[in-house]
Amino acid sequence: MEISNSAVRSDCVGSTAVVYANDYLNKLTGEKIERECRRQLDSGCRALVIDFAETELVNSIGISILLGIIDVAEKNGARIVFADVNNQTVQLFDMLGLTRHVSLAKDKDEALTNLSGFGTQPNVH
Amino acid sequence: MAVAKAIDNFHRVLGRVSRQDFVGRAEELDRVVVQANRSNQGRGLLLLMAPAAGVSELLRQAYDQIFNERSDVIPIYFAFTRNETTAVSTAIEFLTSFLQQYIAFRRNEPALAEASLTLQDLVELAPSSDLEWIEQLARLYDRIRFSNDSKELVRFCFGAPQRVPLRAGRPFVMLDGSQLAEYLDGGVVLGTEALRIFARSRLTFVIAGLRRQILDAAHKAECDFESLDTLKLEQLNDEEGRLLVSRVAQRQQVPISREAEDLIVQQFGGSPYLISIFLQAAREKNTALISYLDCERLYVDELLGGHLYHHYERLLEEMGPQLEKRMMILRVLWETAASEERAVSTEAWRKRWHVSSSDFETVLHRLHIQEFVNWNGPIVDATTGPQTWKDFLKAQYRLDILGEPRALVVADALSDSLKRAPHTMASHYRHLAQLELRGLTAQFNCQRVPAALLDYASFKERYKGQDHRDLASALDADTDLIKLPQTVHVASSIAFNRDMRQVADEEKCVVVHSFDDGVYKDAQEVIWLVAEIDSKLEVGLDLTEIWYERLDSLARLLGFRRYQVWLISNEGFTEEASQILLKRNAHSSSKQQLELLVGRIGEPTRQRVERSDVDEFLMVVPMGEDNELIAASTVEHIARRLPFHPGAINQIKTAIVEACINAAEHSFSPDRKIYQRFRVESDKLVVTISSRGILPTNIGSGNEQTTRPEINPTTEERRGWGLRLIRSLMDEVEFENVDEGTSLKMTKYLLNGEN
Repeated sequence: MEISNSAVRSDCVGSTAVVYANDYLNKLTGEKIERECRRQLDSGCRALVIDFAETELVNSIGISILLGIIDVAEKNGARIVFADVNNQTVQLFDMLGLTRHVSLAKDKDEALTNLSGFGTQPNVH
Repeated sequence: MAVAKAIDNFHRVLGRVSRQDFVGRAEELDRVVVQANRSNQGRGLLLLMAPAAGVSELLRQAYDQIFNERSDVIPIYFAFTRNETTAVSTAIEFLTSFLQQYIAFRRNEPALAEASLTLQDLVELAPSSDLEWIEQLARLYDRIRFSNDSKELVRFCFGAPQRVPLRAGRPFVMLDGSQLAEYLDGGVVLGTEALRIFARSRLTFVIAGLRRQILDAAHKAECDFESLDTLKLEQLNDEEGRLLVSRVAQRQQVPISREAEDLIVQQFGGSPYLISIFLQAAREKNTALISYLDCERLYVDELLGGHLYHHYERLLEEMGPQLEKRMMILRVLWETAASEERAVSTEAWRKRWHVSSSDFETVLHRLHIQEFVNWNGPIVDATTGPQTWKDFLKAQYRLDILGEPRALVVADALSDSLKRAPHTMASHYRHLAQLELRGLTAQFNCQRVPAALLDYASFKERYKGQDHRDLASALDADTDLIKLPQTVHVASSIAFNRDMRQVADEEKCVVVHSFDDGVYKDAQEVIWLVAEIDSKLEVGLDLTEIWYERLDSLARLLGFRRYQVWLISNEGFTEEASQILLKRNAHSSSKQQLELLVGRIGEPTRQRVERSDVDEFLMVVPMGEDNELIAASTVEHIARRLPFHPGAINQIKTAIVEACINAAEHSFSPDRKIYQRFRVESDKLVVTISSRGILPTNIGSGNEQTTRPEINPTTEERRGWGLRLIRSLMDEVEFENVDEGTSLKMTKYLLNGEN
């Protein structure tokens, strides 16, 4: 099931939401992802996967927003995984300490598999 | 074609510059020319001028325009000057100038208007149709001249335009520099007398003078204010000032940079007179004005012995013709100004002057009309006046009173002005980048706007992160509306309480007097206290409470019965802060909300500078709109000319993105552009990203990190990572020394394996 919201795509797989970042993560696109994550958490999702498969470039403001999303997920008791992050972006995440607060997965499927082992049960939408 | 012909036929008569080079006074020029219309017959126009606002050229241009129109209006321009020392000699000079300009107009011979002619020459040059009344005027003049009645002679001379027969035309008299008429000897207060003569004549006239002097003179002359109009003449605004600097520099053949142009406008407060004499000095000294150092060197030279010095020295001489008195004025003025004591008792000041009460009041009055002090009777404020005046006072005080070595005074003055220049420009750029709270709130006029625009928490919940178009539609559909009051007065909070200066910029905290529903009753009166808080993140609880308390205290101090606090910050407020504001019925907005509000109630006047000139070696992109991606994409192509590893190319791209964001966020850039230079060398790529504007405080202080930083992931500060990230991604990062803004040079070396 695909939900379109102001150019941020998201899927729901059970109680896990997959939110797709686009090619450039900056303030605007970061805020869109944040908004979508909040929406998903408000509607009952227990875990979040942010898929960076299409993301080529990120900036520091985008990264600061990701930290905010991690906070929000923690406050809601939800797990969060970043999937398909390219090497250069991983390097930036490392530099800015994100990787200490979030799990990374090779791709979306691996992220979903990892999360399913932590008790996020599929829901029927 | 017709326009070109009209310009070709236009004779410059008294104008010092061509019409094309006369900038920034189009509306005022029209207003003066319109005054000459028949419909204004018998009406006077008082031109209230800010000191050094440059009225003379405006009147000369008006003269030329009217002269060239060849209607029945005969323009007459007369400037009171410091060369005439008595009322009688000035009156005689007026009579001669009047006749000369009258005959020049009647004969349509512009050259006659400023020729050197005697009264007898003028009688001989008079057209035959005017000969009779001009001969009669000359005979009467000869008789009164030797009657030893100064007052009668003055009245006769200034009354001469009334003797022009109706059939010959309508003289339109423009008097310039009426404040100088106050200083003349001869038992007649000439400025007042001239005003009395013209105000009671059937003539149309303009009298220009200092704004603090001329209304006073009109009252003394017992003018009928119903037949007087007024026009205020302020300093030039930034855009007009820059245009003037550019035109005068071109005319004077002075090479000048954009940065120097802007600095000169700010340093001289947009004064056409001071700007013009400064650029004239540049020409005389064959000085190019490229860097701040060029400008300040010339400035200090001028201040200590050039045109600027002579300008202020002449003003000082008018206040105290005797050296001893002048020294005393200099000493008391500077010592008071330097103490920064704003309110000094007039009586306490008088005791320090050691002069009679009448002498003291005369000097004080003259200082007041020149706006070097504010004097309201019992209190004097000597901390006012333009910066150039203060610099002059300080330098002369050190030289003449303290007897310090000239070289030391020159070096200190240069050093001080150089240190001040970046602050002057930073303050200017901050002003340009402000949200224009005054302009926005002044437009409140009972409009209904979505309540979410004044409530950050609600806005964040419902709208943040939406596309611009979706957001606009959603706000249009929003039925929860709030009605703005009708604003009747807006001023900076500093104008209400000087202590606010310590915590807020002048334009960032305003007090708005307004009425709900536009109904002028006590119950509807509401005062909005609006403050913009500097923050790159959502403002937290502590800072929000501080600002709320600050405005709340101000309202209580000023006795406002009903008031509304509205706090604004770039990124809004944290949840806790929003809750507190909600509890206290305070409004809260982010910059985005404010921009949306502006879009709904009208764009406040904003001075934005558009520049199109680029250096040929620079790639220039406008700030914003993700344009940093263009820079990143460009550098990717350039970097591929070297055998960089793809990972290194990505690092360069990210560093450039961060540098562009930094430039856009921190510089208060006046032109909103990012200048980029890419240089490929055999073993490295050098990228320089520059912008105009201010130098961020953490740069150039010697405190910036030179090694690769450790970024603390647990820190609460989630912004301001850009520079640290750049240092991590590039091999060398340095800030180049520039007069203003930043120029960040970043180098990436090829690794051995890549080379």
